[in-house]
Amino acid sequence: MTSKAHALSLKILAECSTTKARACHMTLPHSIVETPVFMPVGTQGTLKGLLPEQLEELDCKIMLGNTYHLGNRPGPELLEKAGGLHKFMNWNRSLLTDSGGFQMVSLLKLAEITEEGVKFQSPHDGSEMMLTPEKSIEIQNSIGADIIMQLDDVVHSSTTGERLEEAMWRTIRWLDRCIKAHKRPHDQSIFPIVQGGLDPELRKKCAYELIKRDVNGYAIGGLSGGEEKQDFWRMVSLSTDILPDDKPRYLMGVGFAVDLVVCAALGCDMFDCVFPTRTARFGSALVPSGQLNLKSKIFSSDFRPIDDQCKCSTCKNYTRAYLHTIVTNETVACHLLSVHNVAYQLNLMKSVHDSIKEDKFPQFIKAFFIQQFPNKDFPQWAIDALDSVNVKLNDNKSDNGKSSVVLKNKDTDSSNIENSKIS
Amino acid sequence: MKFSVQNVKNGCRLGLITDLGKNGNKSIETPMCMLYTRGGNAPHLTLDVLKKIQRVPPMAHMYLSSLAEHSEAVTQFKEGIANFCGMQDFAVYCSLHDPATEVPSGYNEKSGTAIWTKGGKYKLDVNHFMQIQEAFQPDICEALYDGDTNKDSTRKRLLKAMDRTLNYLDEIQNKRKSSQKLQKTALFGVIEGGFSVQERQKSAHETVTRNVDGFVLAGFHNNGPKTEMFDLSQVTEICQKTMECLPENKPRLMQNAWRPDKVMEGIALGIDMFDSSYPYIVTERGCGLVFKFNVCASPEEQKGNGDHLLGFQINLADKKYVDDFGPLLEGCTCYACQNFTRSYINHLLNTSELLSSVLLMIHNFHHYFEFFHQIRQSLQDGSFDELNSLIQKQKPVDS
Repeated sequence: MTSKAHALSLKILAECSTTKARACHMTLPHSIVETPVFMPVGTQGTLKGLLPEQLEELDCKIMLGNTYHLGNRPGPELLEKAGGLHKFMNWNRSLLTDSGGFQMVSLLKLAEITEEGVKFQSPHDGSEMMLTPEKSIEIQNSIGADIIMQLDDVVHSSTTGERLEEAMWRTIRWLDRCIKAHKRPHDQSIFPIVQGGLDPELRKKCAYELIKRDVNGYAIGGLSGGEEKQDFWRMVSLSTDILPDDKPRYLMGVGFAVDLVVCAALGCDMFDCVFPTRTARFGSALVPSGQLNLKSKIFSSDFRPIDDQCKCSTCKNYTRAYLHTIVTNETVACHLLSVHNVAYQLNLMKSVHDSIKEDKFPQFIKAFFIQQFPNKDFPQWAIDALDSVNVKLNDNKSDNGKSSVVLKNKDTDSSNIENSKIS
Repeated sequence: MKFSVQNVKNGCRLGLITDLGKNGNKSIETPMCMLYTRGGNAPHLTLDVLKKIQRVPPMAHMYLSSLAEHSEAVTQFKEGIANFCGMQDFAVYCSLHDPATEVPSGYNEKSGTAIWTKGGKYKLDVNHFMQIQEAFQPDICEALYDGDTNKDSTRKRLLKAMDRTLNYLDEIQNKRKSSQKLQKTALFGVIEGGFSVQERQKSAHETVTRNVDGFVLAGFHNNGPKTEMFDLSQVTEICQKTMECLPENKPRLMQNAWRPDKVMEGIALGIDMFDSSYPYIVTERGCGLVFKFNVCASPEEQKGNGDHLLGFQINLADKKYVDDFGPLLEGCTCYACQNFTRSYINHLLNTSELLSSVLLMIHNFHHYFEFFHQIRQSLQDGSFDELNSLIQKQKPVDS
């Protein structure tokens, strides 16, 4: 136990007195991470055109790498020669790698899952290959991330019946094989993944099985695949109810601002998503009221920064009008919007963290939702999810007097018709 | 803007541009290269990353083909193109064409010149040209010109290009006198005449009488990456004879993808201002500059790892760098070489990751700017010839 405490320790700084949210310090071999945390995704050992130093300047403490991609290129042998991914990409803070299973199933049409592992055709030479739990961990040991994920049997979130149950039980069997194969428990923490699709009973069974294992944290998987939001939040919430308080909970693949705030209230600590950097490449900037599509002509003579409250280097140096002239034309525009969008996500989570510590998270949630939905047309699932943790979005009485809590980012775009909502 | 030549040796000029910019407080030593930009910013590099490079030239090279489309917004903005692009720390030289993009031939007319923007052909007459310059307020503006000539142009085409260019210049000077906004903008006249000594000299004489602040030699080619191979030796005499017609106290500029050996030749011809499209072109093909320019290095050091015998650049996508954990260039002090390996850049190129261009651009700019610094040093301490032979020695075999 003591050796594992070295790989990850969680210190709960504050628990929200209303919701299930908590603010923690998660100590990893390469950095101390403030949670709730958003982790940007650097798929192939780089975050879309940004230097690691630029991420440090944004106070990013942990980012993701994808085992499937890194296992292909540059490959585990080279990464081992290079001294691990941290050294290879010159990122001295924390890393998390997924198991590769998700990419197998989502990218490879020919993937076939058996008890042994995931059988697939190599995208490079067409040869038949097999990703077993042991192989996934072996690759992740070579990559050397601070947190690694078990290989799970991933099914689409709409899957039901026998296949879903099979996947859930197999995920647990694979977890035991992963733990057994793990060669670096002293400096890499392995997270099991709660599966069970949208079936509450299966999810509960899965979670109860997982917590019998001696691990440093848990992930909630198999969601964020296009399922109904009403199902989504219920699966998240029943998972966090079962998972132990003293270990971090990682909700995989979730990164829209509204989802982050709601799921932090449901007790999740870690999130990742490609959305902020992907949307940057299409010229979209994240702001407290939603998104600005900088490609749009209405910005051609808008000489304000993307967000006048934002402290990122993009907002310090560039106007919307200038960005409008280069988005989707010059790679610099991608980098500039990626910097801003990552800054937005990290600032949002910092505000969540701080408001939990001050025990003002419910007020924060309400102010946040008013910015995102100035007409109070809140999505029903968010109303219900927050109601389950005692935050009443439509309760006018409690708004009075408490609305003095103002978000750090003031809304400057609520009247902007081009803003699209991300929900 | 003022310019003075401090010393001339074998045609090479060591000079100083002073009193530059809106506040007249910038000065630049020559021979110099301007910072190449795309869309008004250094290619691939955000401002905070650009700042990691030492010796970034204080003058940015912008061009109408990438910016003219946005002139309405810049007009509304009122503070000029440098501020509009977030480049207020830089003086701006504004030319017509992008040195790194080939200009299609055959679209110029008597009333104006065609530039090629994202949206396609864009016609510029003097009125429109001046409106844009009033909005952009560059520190130096290249006059509108017709430079659509090359080695094969007919005499008729040469004369047309020359006459039109001089007519534009007259009109520009007229309008400039009455323009409040352009009082502090220096104007460079463009010398045409293709490959004809006679027409070149005529163009030079005529341009000199029109009271411009500097000279551009155009009309040798149509820009673009191919100009990397442009053979300066075939225009040596033309250039020399042209330079003879120009006053000494005004700077001379020529746009080209200036390969290091050609830079040396250009300087010997008396050119003072260069662009830095070459390191960009090298970056775009996944290569890193590795040529040596340190004449003081011991023979041991100069031998290096043998790479310099292969030319000016190495291709980082090459398999041999897959597990090469050394820096792009041993001994290089740039941010990319200090922090990343050949192996990592190779991986980024293999996976088409954007960071490959960022790291290569950092290194290639750094290397090229240091090279120009070394050139100025060599003109001061008299080691230019030595530097020249070191550079020529590294020329790739196939050119």
